[in-house]
Amino acid sequence: MPQVKIIAKNFMDMVAALPAMKLDKLYDNAFICEAVLRSLPPLAKKYVMQMLYIDVSVTAKSLEEQVLPDGFSKHKVAIDRLLQLRIFVQSIDRKRETSYKLNPKFQDNLQKYLVYGGSLPREPMPTNITVRLPSPEELEAYAVDQWENFLLQLVTSAQGEKQMGFSSHLLKNFQRGLMSSRENESPKMSEHGFQFLLMDTNAQLWYIIREYISSAQDRGLDPTDLISFLLELSFHVMGEAYNMNSLTEVQTSAVKDLADLGLVKLQQGRKESWFIPTKLATNLSVSLSDTSARKQGFVVIETNFRMYAYSSSKLHCEILRLFARVEYQLPNLIVGAITKESLYNAFENGITGEQIISFLQLNAHPRVAEKIPSVPENVTDQIRLWETDRNRVEMIPSHFYDDFPSKDVFEAACDYAREIGGFLWEDSNKMRLIVRGEAHQDMRDFLRRQK
Amino acid sequence: MASAAPTKLYADDVSLVVVLIDTNPFFWTTSEKNSSSLSFADFISHVLPFLNAIMLLNQLNQVVLIATGVNSCEYIYDSSLPHQQSADGKMPAFYSEILTKLEQFVSKDQRLAKNDSSLTMSSLLSGSLSLALCYIQKIFRAGPLHPQPRILCLQGSPDGPEQYVGIMNAIFSAQRSMIPIDSCVLGTQNSAFLQQASHITGGIYQKPAYPDGLFQYLSAVFATDLQSRSFLRLPKPPGVDFRASCFCHKKTIDMGYICSVCLSIFCKHHKKCSTCGSNFNQSQQDASSTLDHKRKTPEA
Repeated sequence: MPQVKIIAKNFMDMVAALPAMKLDKLYDNAFICEAVLRSLPPLAKKYVMQMLYIDVSVTAKSLEEQVLPDGFSKHKVAIDRLLQLRIFVQSIDRKRETSYKLNPKFQDNLQKYLVYGGSLPREPMPTNITVRLPSPEELEAYAVDQWENFLLQLVTSAQGEKQMGFSSHLLKNFQRGLMSSRENESPKMSEHGFQFLLMDTNAQLWYIIREYISSAQDRGLDPTDLISFLLELSFHVMGEAYNMNSLTEVQTSAVKDLADLGLVKLQQGRKESWFIPTKLATNLSVSLSDTSARKQGFVVIETNFRMYAYSSSKLHCEILRLFARVEYQLPNLIVGAITKESLYNAFENGITGEQIISFLQLNAHPRVAEKIPSVPENVTDQIRLWETDRNRVEMIPSHFYDDFPSKDVFEAACDYAREIGGFLWEDSNKMRLIVRGEAHQDMRDFLRRQK
Repeated sequence: MASAAPTKLYADDVSLVVVLIDTNPFFWTTSEKNSSSLSFADFISHVLPFLNAIMLLNQLNQVVLIATGVNSCEYIYDSSLPHQQSADGKMPAFYSEILTKLEQFVSKDQRLAKNDSSLTMSSLLSGSLSLALCYIQKIFRAGPLHPQPRILCLQGSPDGPEQYVGIMNAIFSAQRSMIPIDSCVLGTQNSAFLQQASHITGGIYQKPAYPDGLFQYLSAVFATDLQSRSFLRLPKPPGVDFRASCFCHKKTIDMGYICSVCLSIFCKHHKKCSTCGSNFNQSQQDASSTLDHKRKTPEA
């Protein structure tokens, strides 16, 4: 049996994995209720809305009755999610009927929200203290800059260049997952690292935040505090200044790390210091649901495999270099080509063809993004073909059996292997048999019984 | 549908809800006397949290509120415009903004009524539907990224047959742009216009049995985003009243004369079509052979 491993797929899975006590504590905070609600699948949101003002439990049956046969799997997913996050509290009565009730704290907070509206997590500082705040454009540029710098660091440090000033434990987080560094060797980007670069910004951001939170656990911090602070942060108003004094110690250190990523900008006044959330921070809870990302693309791929990328960013250039041959660079344009060699290079680094294709599609220039397909079909097909070129041999862990005592035992073993779906190859003349690795235990028991 | 495109930049459930509320004073004053139905103040107190709930469900959701008066209609609120954030802890800032705007609108609508001597009791639904559609078209044209729009009519006053043509045109253009029109009827009678509107555009039509529980109807039925609707069994009206209004006297009829050229409907026999000018009894004296005598009955 393959080992069952639970991988936190997105941030909310991480929240759902928290123990019940801590989850209930999180729901004390109205912002978290709001953020959690927004992260739910649409159908689950609908159920919450429907139950919001119902104080008694509703039977599972009555909810199921609304669902059309096609939607049953979606219904199941929604209910499971609600139970996982303890938004629905399940109870089973004497007649063995399941019924659900909204988590009272969650319900109370949302009801208040609807009537009284949301308040701000903390008051922005008056403008007479904060002398000059950056304009939204400046702030945006700052955030993008900081973020690209950070990613660029990942690329360049993999190429053995000198590191820039990032707080050490922050960088360690990423090296852990994204770089493989052996002693006496400059760190090399791992398979995950390359895949990471091709993700969209929100996914990258959440990946890092996840790593950050799990590393906080190692440092002896309570992840609940961090999670609630991060969710709270996304409800601050972008571009307003907030006093650093209003933060707890844990939050202060978190804010400093987040400033390195471009989520907040720190400024120092005469007496006080403050932080200004950028768009990256306020978008945190938007991107909780997987599919909402809005970004203008920049890449045009032609049917002759030439690639034009309208970007002046060094980071974009580095990312494209991962799988394409960059030929020349103009101030706002990168010209290159997708070649067999450049792709082989990418495949060797553990990037898959699908990832490259989805990157090209996600970042297609608005002019070509309107077309379907946005990347020419012959190019995508060729990328897939070149990829399968490398995978002519498939490796399956397996066991080899020979020296069967008799033909009967051999044939019985073959039949049994077919029956359990582990059969790979046989040679009846020499009485040899190859069986999938996972079927080995069953085969052994079977052969023992034959004796 | 654009769902085949691989780059889905907006999540499936991001919606733009255009809510049309009926501010007809004739309806609300009679409604207040009736103990079982809502007063206008209660009605607004159900609608405001509903708007808030829509915006709560997704950060990118957008709400537009349009008031339908007797003589005019107006945009009251648009959540995409910047608003001042003065939360005093009692009430969200936008609630008070909506209330003041509504008050202004109602008094303006009243002044218009005084100048105009022709007294009508029905609300200008065709006007507010057109405003809603214009707004949605503007969103469509703003770029390839837009939320999924839908219209919700909260209507109390009875249908105005004189608006038949305008409303039907609005319904058909909504159908063309695939915008569902949901309708929640608060009056005592079903609205034939809205039944047809929801039926044709694939929206939900509901006439709440208990109007004082309006918020529950709104949040349980009308807050459902378009994607989830395809998985759920939502309330369906028992039947749709397909009766049309005649073009000549604006009366609702179930039997009448139809111009064979432009399909205009008349309750009486005419010599010439008033819409397209076709002459009906040119070649033959027998009128019944040139005129379609078509019967329209409500569907059971």
